Formats: sequence, structure tokens, C-alpha cells
Amino acid sequence: MIRALNSILLAAMAVTPATGRAQATLEGRVELPKTHFAPVATERYEIVSKAGVLATDPPRAVVYLEGDFPKPKTLATKTVGQKDFAFRPPLLAIEVGTKVEFPNYDDTYHNIFSYSPAKRFDLGRYPPNETPAPSVLFDKAGLVTLRCDIHEHMRGLILVLDTPYFAITDSDGRYRLTNLPAGHFTIKAWLNSKNTGERPVDLKSGGVQHVDFP
Amino acid sequence: MSFAAATRAPGIGRFRVRLLLAMMVVVSALTSLGIYVAQHRAAKDAEADLQRDFDLELASLHRLQDLRNAAVADRSKSLAQNARIHAALEDNALDLLYPSAREELRDLMESSNAGRKDAGEALHARFYRFLDSHGAVLEPPTMDAGQLLPNEQAQLAQDGVPQFMQAGYLARRDATGRPAVDEMIAVPIRSTETNEVIAALVLGFKPVEAVPHGEGTGMRSGILANGQLQLPTTDSAAEKQIVAEVERDVAHPSERKRRLRTTIDGVPHLLFFKRLNQHSDYPPAYEVCVYPLTKLLARQQQLRWRVLEAGTLLMLGGFLVSEFLSRRLSRPVEELAVVSQKNLVQRQQIEAKLEMTAEELQRSTRFSADASHQLKSPITVLRAGLDSLLARDGFPPEVYEEISSLIHQTYRLTGVVEDLLLLSRMDAGKLRLNLRTVDLKHLVEEWIDDLQALPEAADLHLEKDVPPDLQIVGETRFTALVVQNLLDNARKYNRRDGTIRISAREEGNQVELRVANTGRGIPLAEQPYIFERFHRAGAGDDVPGHGLGLNLARELVRLHGGELRLIRSDENWTEFCARFRAAQPAAKTVGAAQ
Repeated sequence: MIRALNSILLAAMAVTPATGRAQATLEGRVELPKTHFAPVATERYEIVSKAGVLATDPPRAVVYLEGDFPKPKTLATKTVGQKDFAFRPPLLAIEVGTKVEFPNYDDTYHNIFSYSPAKRFDLGRYPPNETPAPSVLFDKAGLVTLRCDIHEHMRGLILVLDTPYFAITDSDGRYRLTNLPAGHFTIKAWLNSKNTGERPVDLKSGGVQHVDFP
Repeated sequence: MSFAAATRAPGIGRFRVRLLLAMMVVVSALTSLGIYVAQHRAAKDAEADLQRDFDLELASLHRLQDLRNAAVADRSKSLAQNARIHAALEDNALDLLYPSAREELRDLMESSNAGRKDAGEALHARFYRFLDSHGAVLEPPTMDAGQLLPNEQAQLAQDGVPQFMQAGYLARRDATGRPAVDEMIAVPIRSTETNEVIAALVLGFKPVEAVPHGEGTGMRSGILANGQLQLPTTDSAAEKQIVAEVERDVAHPSERKRRLRTTIDGVPHLLFFKRLNQHSDYPPAYEVCVYPLTKLLARQQQLRWRVLEAGTLLMLGGFLVSEFLSRRLSRPVEELAVVSQKNLVQRQQIEAKLEMTAEELQRSTRFSADASHQLKSPITVLRAGLDSLLARDGFPPEVYEEISSLIHQTYRLTGVVEDLLLLSRMDAGKLRLNLRTVDLKHLVEEWIDDLQALPEAADLHLEKDVPPDLQIVGETRFTALVVQNLLDNARKYNRRDGTIRISAREEGNQVELRVANTGRGIPLAEQPYIFERFHRAGAGDDVPGHGLGLNLARELVRLHGGELRLIRSDENWTEFCARFRAAQPAAKTVGAAQ
């Protein structure tokens, strides 16, 4: 328990290195694809695949800063639960090296697996509230599609990123990245499994910069 | 008797012979037609029987295929619902595709060990392969999916992923190197999410064996795929010939024959084929079936003899009957020939006479028509001359009287000519009536008005009983002429201080006009002739007239659909009756008439 707490603290320190100096902020809006749904500001969305393209519906984007950043020693464990035959959250963005737990909150068995090149794993069948919750360490950047062998319709996405600086936009496409280092980087916006936009950015310490996609 | 007739007239004998010959020709034609039709029917029936056998066999084949297709479709559905298949296809993990499907298809692949000979046997798959979303074959990593040579596996691919279940036939070599055919069924795998076809599964089976139906007919059947046919117990030359036959028939659908024939080892065979994989993107494959025609031909030969025997008997019978019939039929013809010879002469005479009469009649009609025309104009000239003479001064008074008398004569002449003209037109049938409604009372009144102008009017008593509204059908000019004629006669042949009685009434749909007068009657002997032309019934020369009036009146009345008759003529009373057609319904005028 103490170790876990320790690691969280360390992770927090790693995400915000050298607090107090050279901190930049990046904000903006990603133009999300129009959906036929009424623009209700809902926090709920799901993963759908159309013509082999996996995306969130209603759309969300993941904005992340690419660059050569120092690797943190420990990272906080994330959770993707299974509730009401769906992954919660459906889309998770993590840094490489993050461990993700897959607790089963439903009343039935689930069998989470992935055939994605970024991470192949098969947790096997497990009952509700199994302790400890089965977990996987994602050690390679890329998109991982989560599936359930028992429930074919269930889809989840984990975007494993090689950066500590990322955010999921709100339903309107707005994002805000804080505590960024100054320097020349590339800011990317992941829209779906086939589309990722990018912009070069020059971050200056203490400034707030505005970048929109596209 | 007919023999006697024949000796009398050689022409009639020839007729009999010709009749007999014609009948024999008809009988032989009918018999041969019968033979042909019977034979044709028999051949067709036999071939139809074989066709039915073939169709039955195909039907049993299709039942098994349907069973298998249903199982395969079911399998593809469960594969589509398999999350691992989706993951392998969608997440770029094709190496995991076959292992993921192995469990699902295990029963299909393993049932071979059971070695059953029923429907389960038909469900034994020899191999399975996945096609990607472009129709290309996904290479299996293990041998679990059944072995296929590279050239065999290439036959599984399609230009695009199949959108519906379809069958194909795979030509390959079996373990002993003999050509064999595998049936393959391609089923699309649809995404349960979007219903798009994301891949396809191709399953290979041993072809369903056709159950031979026409046992003992020597029938053989096999599958023709990719130009390769394997038919049990046929050599490759025969197979090549069958393949060529089928391919030619398929290539020229417009000249398609109902049934194909081919010769195998010198024995004629009937050849049936039917495409096995309708609506498939795989190359067409055919179920081919050959029947040796040896038995069929023997049966036909036998039948032909029997039909010929029957036909010969029939023909002989027909000849006998036609001989008898020709005798019977020619007898009245012989009699008729004798009679008609006599009749012919008579008829020719009568026809000549008739022709002459018609010609005469025509000539006389034309003559009187011409004469009338030729006469009218001189009379007019004559009268005009006399009128101008009368207008001149300086002649003695008796000359003026003479001229007036001459002018009066020209008027008589004009009357005669006009009557003749009218009669000739009637004779020639050229008089067209312009029928309308004529008021009879009005006609009588007009004549009475004219009568009042004459000096002898004072000496005559008029009795008139003509109800008003008595309408007749006729042309005014001609009906007036009839009425005028009758009344003029009644006036002319009257005695001094005599009486004229005019009465009319409606009788049914006819109107009867009676005109009677006192005075000397027509002698009984002359009464039949009074209606003839230029006959003046005992009239003295003191009475003006030319003997055409009554004839003309009767002709005109008849032309109007009526009749003119003399009712009575004796010492002191002559009465004529003219009937006309009434113009109005009788009911309306009955009251007025009485």
C-alpha cells in the first residue's frame, strides 16, 4: 500500500518535472467529425468500427505532444472496467509503461483480450469482482483494441503514447495541456485508428499558446 | 349399274378411277403421317423419361447440397459472432485467424473419421480457407486447415470478397493422381456491427454423389469443372468429346438444342447437363449425365415395325373402303351427268331469251327517255311561236281561236311528254323519292281551288269527307300528281249535274283515299285494262286525255308503298281507292278520322 502511494507520488513528480520553471500551456480545439446526433454535451461515448476504422462515437480526440521526454521511473496504474457490457472508459490514453487493470463490475464473466500488434494479451475468463483485478502492462506505443471473447460487441481502445503530455478533448473538441516544457515539438491530434493530425509548435516558457486542428 | 354408266360415258369412268386414286393417296398420306407421329411421340416420350430421371437425380443432389449449405451458412454466422475472428481480421492479426477459427470448425473437419455414409458424410469438409476483404486467400499457418497445392489454392481466390454464399468446383488430383473435383462453398463473414463483408470463408467438400435414379439404364454422371470432366468408366477421348459438346452448347445459347447427343465407343448417347453453381463468381461447373441409347434404339426399332404393320393393315383397309366409297359416290354423279346434259341446253336457251328481254327493256326505256327529251324542246319552241302569233294583230278572229286551240294542244303534248318522262324514269328505276310528310287534305283543297276556276265547276256537286291532319308519307310532287289525276278523271268522266265524292280515312297504318264520280261507268270487259298505258277506257274523243294518267298514278302509288284500285264501276258510279302509308301513328288521328 505504501509502495503504491510512493509510486503515485513519484509518478506525479515525473509528470511535472522541474516545477516552477519553463512551464508552457497549450490549448485549442480539434474540429471533430459531425455526427448525426444532436449536439448534447454528454460525457458518454462508445467505440465503433466503420469500414475497418475504429473511432469514438460521439467523436473525441486525443491531443498529445510528441518529443523526446525523459522516461519516468514509475507510472500510476490506470483502470478500464467492464460495466453493463461496455468498457469504462471506452477510450484510455496512457504513457508507455503504464499498467492497466481490468476489473469486472458486471454480474457475469468477461474474457478481455487483444490481438493488436501494440499489445497481444488474453486475460482469460474471469468472474465479477475478481481480486486482484487482471492487469496488463503496456510497454509499446500504439493503439490497442480491447475485446471480450464472450461478448463480441464490446470494444475498447487504449492509446499507448510515448509522451507524458496528453489529454482527451471534451465533446466539443476543446483541450488544454499544461505544465509543458519549452522547446520545439510536434503536437498531434488522434481522431480515429486511421487519422491523426499534427502541427509543429514552439513552446515558450510561461506562455499560453493556441493551436486548432485542422 | 355403275359399270353400265361407265360404258355409256367414258368420262364418268375416268372420274371414278380418279376418285379412287385420290382416296388412296389420302389414305396413304394419313397412314404415313400416323406412323411418323406415333414413332416421334414414342421417341420423345422415351427421351422425356430420361430427362425426368436426370432431373430427379439433380433434385436429390440439391437436397443434400441445401442441407450442407445451411450448415455452412450457420457456421459462417457463428464465425462472424466470434470476437477473435473479428480481432484477427480487424486488428491486423492474421496469424491468429486460423487458430481462432480452428475451434469453431473442428467438428466439420473431424467428422471424416466417423466415416458415415449419410448426410453427416456430406458435411465433412476437406479444407477451409479465409479470403480477405479483397477476395485473396489468406495463407493458413498450420496444416489444420486441410492441404491444398498452390495451384489448387489459387482457384479459391475471387476478384472481390463474395457478397453472398456461392459454390465453386475445384479441379485437383487425388492421392492416386487421378483427376478429382472438390466442391467449395464460399460464405461472406459480415461484421455484426456494420453488416459489411469483412472476409469470407471457403469450405471444401467432397462433391455430393448423385444417386443414380434410372437404375439399369447404364447412366453415368459426373461433374465438369474448369474444362475437366471425370465420368466413371469413360476414356479421356470420350470425356473430351463430351466437354466439347457441353462447351459449344454453353457458348451458343441461341442455337441450343433441346437434347444433346454424343457417341461414346460407337454407341450413341443422350447427353444432359445443368449448371451446378448458378449465380456464382466461381467458374461455371456442370453436372453432366450420359445415357446410352442402345436400349432406347432397340425399343424404337421394335415399335417402328409394329407401327408399320398396323399402318399397312390400316392402308389396305383404307383402300377397300375407298373403292367401295368411290363406287357409291360416283353413282349419283353419273346420273347427274346425264340429266345435266339435258338441262344445259334448256338453260342456255332461257338465258339467251332473258338476255334479249333485258336488252329490249333497256333499249325501250332508253328510247322513251330520249324521245321525251327530244320532244320537250320542240313543243316549247312551238308554243312560243304560237304565243307570238297570238300577240300579233291583223288576223281574222277565227284564226286567233285556232291559234288558242293549238296552244292548248301544246300544253296537252307537254303533259304527255312529262308523263312519259316520269314513266320512263320509273321503268329505268332511276326515280328517287324524297319522302316526307304530306298533308292529304291540303292536296284535295288545292285541287278544289283549281276546279273553282273552271267553267264546268258550277255543274258539279262536291261531297268531301276528308278529316284534317291526315298525313301520308310521300314526295309532295308525286302524291299531288296522283290526287290530281284521280280527281281530274272524276271531273272529266262525269255527267252534267253530277257528283264527285272525295273521302279519306285512316286504316291502321295506311290512309285510304276514295274518289267517286257519277257518270257512265267503265265497261266490265275493259275494266282489267284501264291501268295499262295508252288505254282509254271507252272514253270518247270529246274527253281530253292520253291514256297515261291511270298507269302513271298506279305506278307512283306503288312506288310510295301503296296501291291504287278500281273499287266499283257500273251504270252511274265509278269509284277508285288509293292507299298510302300513314305518316303518323294511327292512335293520334283516329278520333279526327271518324
